[in-house]
Amino acid sequence: MRTTSFFLILVLMTALSGNAQKYITKTGYIKFYSASPLEKIEAHNRQVNSALDISTGGFVFKVLMKSFEFEKALMQEHFNENYVESDKFPSATFAGKVTNIKDVNTGKDGIYEANVEGKLTLHGVTKDIKQKGSFEMKQGRLIGKAKFNIAVADYNITIPGNVGNNISKTIEVTVDITLDKANM
Amino acid sequence: MKTWVKIVLGLIVVGIVAGLLVFKFVYNKQHPDYENVEAAYTVTAQDFYNDYKTDKNAAATKYNGKMIALTGKLSKVETVDSLVTAVFVFNQGDFGDEGVRCTMLKKFNDAADKLQPDGEVKVKGFCSGYNETDVVLEKCSIINQ
Repeated sequence: MRTTSFFLILVLMTALSGNAQKYITKTGYIKFYSASPLEKIEAHNRQVNSALDISTGGFVFKVLMKSFEFEKALMQEHFNENYVESDKFPSATFAGKVTNIKDVNTGKDGIYEANVEGKLTLHGVTKDIKQKGSFEMKQGRLIGKAKFNIAVADYNITIPGNVGNNISKTIEVTVDITLDKANM
Repeated sequence: MKTWVKIVLGLIVVGIVAGLLVFKFVYNKQHPDYENVEAAYTVTAQDFYNDYKTDKNAAATKYNGKMIALTGKLSKVETVDSLVTAVFVFNQGDFGDEGVRCTMLKKFNDAADKLQPDGEVKVKGFCSGYNETDVVLEKCSIINQ
């Protein structure tokens, strides 16, 4: 279902734009950060697939959960096996739109505010999200940045009581992607 | 020294040692030494990619989270910041080239940079799965043939 919607959006993006104005990356960056009194937990993923269609605003992300790297091996194990269950739910996706895409002028270097709306699927649960971020047009590349919080309970991620105090209930997500114009 | 004092001291020492061992080997255990983890499967990059294209769920159960050794003709090497990726291209799609992407362990960045496109290579890496465009191997090393 998740992959189907991901592809539907991609197909839609292509169909809606005869002259595809698409920017893509396969090496986008996403960070999870959780701060609690006892411990800070960080995970980095530098293998994020993302595509933005400039003509429609269609915007998609796909992240493999096993690509998140933690400083401590034990945290990485717990994350994959107990929290996000990456064998059962190998990826997270976002499929939505930059609603004010007309404000992003790809012909002129500069920083543009972006309003992003869509569906985030994580741990098999899909939720509507609405966030603000920015796009910076710089020498033909589009650099997208956003920072927002998600509540782990919203995605049915349960953290056992004995480690619950080490992990905060909300996780800060940082997105930093550099999109290149697709040659097609 | 009284016997019970010896027993209590002994127990305290055992407790401290056990605590240190748990800290070292459980809480603070190291990531695997990826370069020296034995491959669970050795396949051609083409067969590996085809397995995911044919039945991604079966392929995920078989390969995800395991060390995989791949042989094949390399298509290109990409470098983004300090991330070097050896790429086997087998298809074209919405994201351009599609195939198997192998991100290298830092130690192998230079060696990977020197790999020739169209040259036969053998790489080994930890399989993160299929993201609908590519199968991703991480922490890859180059195996001398």
